[in-house]
Amino acid sequence: MKKKFILLGLFISCGTLLIAQNNFMKNSRVSGNFQLDAQYYIPDAAMGANTIRDKIRANAFANINYTNGGFSAGLRYEFYQFPLIDFEKIHYIGHGIPHYYIGYNHEYFEVTVGSFYEQFGNGLIYRSYENRNLGYDNATYGIRVKGKPYKGIVITGIWGMQRNLFVKEGQIRGIDGDISFSEMFSKLSDNSVTLGIGGSFLSKFEVDNDPDYNLPENVAAFATRLNFGYKDFNLNAEYAYKFNDPLVKLNDMIYKPGEALVVTASYAMKGLGIYLTGLRTDNMDFRTVRTAEANNNIINYIPTLTREHTYALPAMFPYASQAQGQIGFQAQVNYQIKKRSKIGGKYGTDIMVNYSQIHGIKQNPVEEAVNAGGDMTGTDGYTSPFFGIGKLLFQDFNIEISRKFNSTWKLGLGYVFLLYNQDVIEGHIGQPNVLSHTAIADLTCQINNKHALRLELQHLYSKQNKGIWSSRNWLYGQLEYSISPKWFISVLDRWNYGNIDKTKRIHYYSVSGSFVYGTTKITLSFGKQYEGILCVGGVCRAVPASYGAGLSIVSSF
Amino acid sequence: MIFHSTIVFFFTFAAIKYFNLFNCMKQIISLLVIAFAISSAIAQEDFSKRKMSLPSVDLKTLNGKTFNTQDMDNNEKPIIICFFATWCKPCMTELKAISDVYDDWQDETGVKIYAISIDDSRSSAKVSPLVKGQNWDYEFLLDENSDFKRAMNVNDIPHTFVLNKNKEIVWQHTSYSPGAEQEYINIVRKLIAEPNK
Repeated sequence: MKKKFILLGLFISCGTLLIAQNNFMKNSRVSGNFQLDAQYYIPDAAMGANTIRDKIRANAFANINYTNGGFSAGLRYEFYQFPLIDFEKIHYIGHGIPHYYIGYNHEYFEVTVGSFYEQFGNGLIYRSYENRNLGYDNATYGIRVKGKPYKGIVITGIWGMQRNLFVKEGQIRGIDGDISFSEMFSKLSDNSVTLGIGGSFLSKFEVDNDPDYNLPENVAAFATRLNFGYKDFNLNAEYAYKFNDPLVKLNDMIYKPGEALVVTASYAMKGLGIYLTGLRTDNMDFRTVRTAEANNNIINYIPTLTREHTYALPAMFPYASQAQGQIGFQAQVNYQIKKRSKIGGKYGTDIMVNYSQIHGIKQNPVEEAVNAGGDMTGTDGYTSPFFGIGKLLFQDFNIEISRKFNSTWKLGLGYVFLLYNQDVIEGHIGQPNVLSHTAIADLTCQINNKHALRLELQHLYSKQNKGIWSSRNWLYGQLEYSISPKWFISVLDRWNYGNIDKTKRIHYYSVSGSFVYGTTKITLSFGKQYEGILCVGGVCRAVPASYGAGLSIVSSF
Repeated sequence: MIFHSTIVFFFTFAAIKYFNLFNCMKQIISLLVIAFAISSAIAQEDFSKRKMSLPSVDLKTLNGKTFNTQDMDNNEKPIIICFFATWCKPCMTELKAISDVYDDWQDETGVKIYAISIDDSRSSAKVSPLVKGQNWDYEFLLDENSDFKRAMNVNDIPHTFVLNKNKEIVWQHTSYSPGAEQEYINIVRKLIAEPNK
């Protein structure tokens, strides 16, 4: 009864305010978006597609946002009660309104109550983030306050719980400060200097009910960062430290503190860009719940320093960040051979070279117990010298050249070498590293202003197997016809012709068509999907292994 | 306007705090959103035709400065906003295709393009060397935690918006197919021919 009374009060007050103020109404806006992905599953034992009793599954969500000047409120309804099989696999099952917020954004401050997404620096100690297509959403529920007391200074405070799938868990609180000197002092930016520093602190709380271990209930982490730029050169560094934090499944209950360092340098001028980044992480898994595993209850974000491949075959071997221990670097050069030059041609020729190499860290085991309380259980686990390099986990060399010959023809050529440690990255214990060479050709023929045909060919050469469904050589071909901007038709086939098991030399074919009208896109598809990233009609997203027909509707208003 | 929204906000917040309503905050917010939506619709007959202006979101420039989306400006000429990411191939194809004709577009219409990268910290530092290496001349902004993407209701990228001289969204489009850029410039031309539209 009390609740109803309050609600009524709220309504009347807001309503009166709204109606009384025509000015207020003028600025009010309602917007939102909607997405439905449905799939009809056909079992196919030959490709490992299991029988699914309820054959039709779908993921759906809709956002509604209301804004009025600095004021905003919104919610998202999610329906994942009978989700696509890959979402079922990660237990992303449920429905309701898990996302809702009210916020006010002023020149000097910003307040949000409800659920929100935020990150401190690179996210090494805190990032709440969503990616709907991956089923990843660790929004923070609670309150966020941002203060902008002076030009160039932003202070952010957060406090609340964490979303994990469809429940709220844990307790986190944190603060971040960011100072941009080049925004404060115009003298710096006048001399093409950018300089900024930042620092953040985050702490989590979880009750200790463990009979054996004396566990820290409050675990803190902090990070500091620096950004320096001069003319075309830029340097960015962030260091994070996490206090003792034994986790059941992710660090074998060790008390060793964690740390992470990311340094990125880049140089960019017209026609040339150079990028270099290094990373070291050690025991940096940070979760709200000690028993968490997989992608659940993640508080922070450890970026992966490898290129995200968009071509289907090299994308089959993606590196997954190893927060518990990795050291590596990535370098990339982008160069454009000048337009209207002899070698560059009329439109110029773009070249990109990229290399990355990641190792595990060296670990020297420690035996003696460090935890003085309780039963003296628990050790630091290991010590690790900062530059101690362990097993090779991943290596990637790739080069891409693309050139537009005239208004009709465009060609892209690529080569990718990958070394993939499936033992560590995917947990295929004892399996050898996969070494692969991929050649790519991507040809576009712009028939006229509206009609275009694109042909993509890829060949992957390898002598190793990754599980039973990917073995040795692959061939990939895709033909896409588009009538801009409304129609797309695509036919593709991905064939594991080199599989040592002849019965598994499967053609993963797929036929799809899309219709786009403004912000609405409807896609129909039929075929076999090998898990990975699928790009059709200009949009990319992750897709699971399955056989059947799909319908996807995406719209915004 | 700011005054009133402040009152609404603080009233709501005070009520939530006072009655310890965190538990049923979801219901309250849901009802509020729906109430706002309905009252906006009733108050405005031409609701469906109303053009949306830009939300206020803080982004970063390529050299790390804060940039509020409401500061996007092109001296009362149309603006195109393209959402992209370095890992999104069709997005890169789109930006590349526009770059071949961008000089001509600017000479003809004075249009300005803001390219918004939704790369997260895995690849956001790559944006600057990549786009400069490609010789692209757009105004680049980084949306590392997808705040602007959410505020603009973008599901998938590439997603393109055309804004009129009052910086209101008059047209938008999702995905990219070769030649679609012709549609963008046609909308811009129409806006210049009929400035009151």
